[in-house]
Amino acid sequence: MGLKPVTTPDVEAATIELTLDGEIVQAKEGVSLYDVISSTGKIVPAMCYHYTFDPFGSCGMCLVLQEGKKAPVRSCTAKAAAGMVIQTEGEELFLARKKGVEKHLSVHPLDCPVCDADGHCELQDMAFEHGVTNLANAKQKNIPEDTRSLVLDFNMNRCIACGECINICKDVLRIDALQFMKKDGFTQVVAKGDQALDCEFCGDCLAVCPVGAITNKFSKYAYKPWQLKKTTTTCNYCGDGCQIYVETKDTEVVRVTSPLSWKNKWGDRTDTVNGHDGICVRGRFGFQFIDSATRLKAPLVRTDSGLQPSPWLDALDMAAGRLAYVKAQYGAQAIAGLITARCTNEDLYVFQKFMRSVIGTNHLDSSARYGHLNFVRAMKHALGLHRMMNTSEEINKAKALLIIGANITETNPVASLRVKSAMGLYKAQTIVVDSMQTNIAKLASHPTMVKPGTEGLYIQGLVKSVIDQDLIDEDATSAFPEALDSLRQAVGSLSLEDIADQTGVDLKHIHEAARIFAEASRSIIICGEGILRHAGGYQHMLHLIDLAWLTGKLGRKGCGINTYTEEANEQGAVDMGVAPEFLPGPVAFTDSQAREKFGRVWGNNLPDSARGANLMEILDRCRTGEIKALYLVGENPLETLPASYEVTSALAKLEVLICQDPFLTETAKMAHVVFPASTFAEKDGTVTNQEGKVQFLRPALDSLGESTLDWHIMVGMANGLGSPMEYETTQDIQNEIRKVLPGYYNLGKVPHVAPHLSEYFSKVLPREASSRYSVITKSATQRPFALRMIQLIYHSGKLSTQASGLMEISPNMSRLRMSAEDFKNLGLSAHVRVRITSDQGTVEMGVEEDMSLMPGTCAVPEHFNDPPVKDLMPLQVDPVTGVPYFKLTDVSIEKV
Amino acid sequence: MSNPTATKKFFDAVLFREIWNAMKVTFKHMLHRPITFQYPREKRTIPDAHRGALCLLRYEDGTERCVGCDLCEVACPSHCIKVISEEDKTLPLQRYATEFYIDITKCVFCGYCVEACPVNALAMTKVYEFSTHDKRTLLFDKARLYQIGERHIDDAKKYLYAHNQEKEGEEGRAYRYHFPVSIKSTQEP
Repeated sequence: MGLKPVTTPDVEAATIELTLDGEIVQAKEGVSLYDVISSTGKIVPAMCYHYTFDPFGSCGMCLVLQEGKKAPVRSCTAKAAAGMVIQTEGEELFLARKKGVEKHLSVHPLDCPVCDADGHCELQDMAFEHGVTNLANAKQKNIPEDTRSLVLDFNMNRCIACGECINICKDVLRIDALQFMKKDGFTQVVAKGDQALDCEFCGDCLAVCPVGAITNKFSKYAYKPWQLKKTTTTCNYCGDGCQIYVETKDTEVVRVTSPLSWKNKWGDRTDTVNGHDGICVRGRFGFQFIDSATRLKAPLVRTDSGLQPSPWLDALDMAAGRLAYVKAQYGAQAIAGLITARCTNEDLYVFQKFMRSVIGTNHLDSSARYGHLNFVRAMKHALGLHRMMNTSEEINKAKALLIIGANITETNPVASLRVKSAMGLYKAQTIVVDSMQTNIAKLASHPTMVKPGTEGLYIQGLVKSVIDQDLIDEDATSAFPEALDSLRQAVGSLSLEDIADQTGVDLKHIHEAARIFAEASRSIIICGEGILRHAGGYQHMLHLIDLAWLTGKLGRKGCGINTYTEEANEQGAVDMGVAPEFLPGPVAFTDSQAREKFGRVWGNNLPDSARGANLMEILDRCRTGEIKALYLVGENPLETLPASYEVTSALAKLEVLICQDPFLTETAKMAHVVFPASTFAEKDGTVTNQEGKVQFLRPALDSLGESTLDWHIMVGMANGLGSPMEYETTQDIQNEIRKVLPGYYNLGKVPHVAPHLSEYFSKVLPREASSRYSVITKSATQRPFALRMIQLIYHSGKLSTQASGLMEISPNMSRLRMSAEDFKNLGLSAHVRVRITSDQGTVEMGVEEDMSLMPGTCAVPEHFNDPPVKDLMPLQVDPVTGVPYFKLTDVSIEKV
Repeated sequence: MSNPTATKKFFDAVLFREIWNAMKVTFKHMLHRPITFQYPREKRTIPDAHRGALCLLRYEDGTERCVGCDLCEVACPSHCIKVISEEDKTLPLQRYATEFYIDITKCVFCGYCVEACPVNALAMTKVYEFSTHDKRTLLFDKARLYQIGERHIDDAKKYLYAHNQEKEGEEGRAYRYHFPVSIKSTQEP
């Protein structure tokens, strides 16, 4: 049932009664009559209606008879009122609706045979249902097709002006990229200002278009809907875990769609707090990597003449033989493994079991180490939690949101819609803290620009401000007076003026933000790469926890600390214990009870509890020669880490480097054995999204060539090493996970996790607080610009650069993004190249103006390595969590 | 006791009447024109509506009629048609079939595909001889189908007229929808 006029979750609308086809039904006052009718299960045709936005009322199909009115009324725009007597069926209504279809059809071209929507077209269905066979005054519009956009074609001859595309873009996506425009005598949908469409390209307008007026360029004319095999699976790009339909024809992926469609238009608008079922540009248009020609099709083995294709048995035999040799010669501690968090839970579980029980080493890590583990370790340390605290529904209904260092519209576009709707629909106050003017900041009530790298300092300022303004929540803090005292003492030495000066934020604004956050009944923190991937990330997480605790936001319903993950299964990697410090669960690796349990299930003793090496330590030990063999599953440290870290020389020292990847990456080119792995569309298994929902992957295609599932390869190697793992299907692994982690397969329902407030606040915090708060004054440097590596909405890691569609939308521009002011000051123009110099080196590249940057900040997308901007970055490793920080540095820039 | 049946039998036997009857048939056929054809030296005249080998047709200016709409594929009861379509890169916004296969060994010659075709690109001809040493040649591809179409264009046209699918001039235009040949894009080339 619709949401209007109630926009706050705290107020309930009055319940009224009305008569529908002779039956009395109850409804909320003021909602659309159409919603009331559809909630009873009756279906009245409507072509311009979709539950995700307010009724528009242009198609004239949802006619019903209301007692007391002569002509039929449009039920979607009529408001339900007490005592209405409504009739939804009958000859008169049928004829009136038929007239409506005829009106649309008389100006609609009958080019169904070449239309991509043929067979999936609401107008076609309506014409068939109402028996429209003869059109007296048919005429053609003859409007030229708008093909200016990179992704979507607009054929306005077919448009029925239902406005669904415009409404979803405005009300749900809150981008507002489309509009109606009267052109050539017809009302047409055009991009804002009749320019070429340039938006986030989520394609939700394409999904809701009930006719073929908006079509997809990447699969234009390549299919008819009935030819496609639809497989429901989970998107593999980011941690949102959107459900997608991979639609295939024979052995190729033709398009990707999602449950959002004009076909399921009936729903309750309040349900959109859990998602609107749409997807983003990466999910919808980034599918080409699945059947890319550059995929590996057979195992490769290094010979004298380089990497050569080899039969599976030989390659497995060689890899296992070499690992066995290293293990016999140098011991199990000389072997290490890294896995990408894009793998399924089953792959991750088998991987850590393979490393720990077959090889017998605890040197293993996943790509969650690049940031997410800062969050997990801090939450685990302080609150005993291992993932974000709130569901999307709670985020949606928040009263105040503190989004800090998170460019969520770019990194997690679909999850960001919940924040957008919290702001738009529920009028949440939003404080967005970032060194760029992000898209979410443009919509926020309190956008705050801080100087690059001072997000953590800003949090300290908030903590100080909360204490100074006495915004402390008595109920929450009274249980731990020592902790409160220690915090008071710790921040006592801080000067807010210093912080205001360092961060570049007005003192008044820090106080205001602290007040908003502390006083709201439901406040939520969302932090992102600006906190977790910039130096001091672990400390900053602890500051955030302090802030939430002081203001009483821990443990209260609807409040909490959250993060969104970059890769699809980072949460799963943590849950499956793919980190030296965790066992599946995650429980601490040193926990003797857990060690005993897993030792029993796996049938052999776990490696020594002496600390296993994490990602950076593994690479260090490769360089020193302690680690002789490295097993990489989908990881590509060579292209991820800056050159100053000398990954090349570390990898060159290895006696055995085994890579397992769908593509021949730079790292794989150095390998001794390369195994071809399947992509997500070929896998079955599960992935855990950032919220903790476990969702299924289902194979849409057979694995390309000889490539196979990641766990198949691990099982093959385990067999070669003489300690076979008895798995035949993915279900076997799932059964084992069910045994060791009861209740892990929660079937899409997220079990609530309550923070555990005792030991940390009574013992640990009083001890730690004093050393935690300090303002480090940045030393003056010769390099006036801060260079940031940023993420783009069109890309995710390096995987998306293999998708030709996304590369067409967002190619590697090789351009440094700079603010307009710096552009002027340095006398730059679009054709000029600049030389960027940091302490680590020099790179030359083009420049472009970016309105979202502050003067003194410049940015480069991190997805491309050409030119190698990442090599300018110094690398700093977190002393506690071992997270590498290499996303921000100071540079000087000069014109070439 | 006289029995008429017995009497008749007696006379038939004496007069060899059955032989006379047989000879009558024999001599009649000596004067009759033969009705068998000396196939394959002689061939039967085939009616226009005959459903024989399928073919693809072009417009008078030589452009392909087929727009790759896949409707023949979905109409085919024996699933013997396979169409792979794409946007024509040389003529933007035009759909065409990059590949078109008809497995004539599976075809049941029902003519539904011709009925389904919105542009009359498919037609049936009077070709019915498919015997071959290599069964693979009976998987007609696009080139082969156009070849048949060119060779038997008259028969194909006659088929369409006979089945009321195509009519001459304005009358035909009213009966069948013609696709817009080109929707010009607003994009500067």
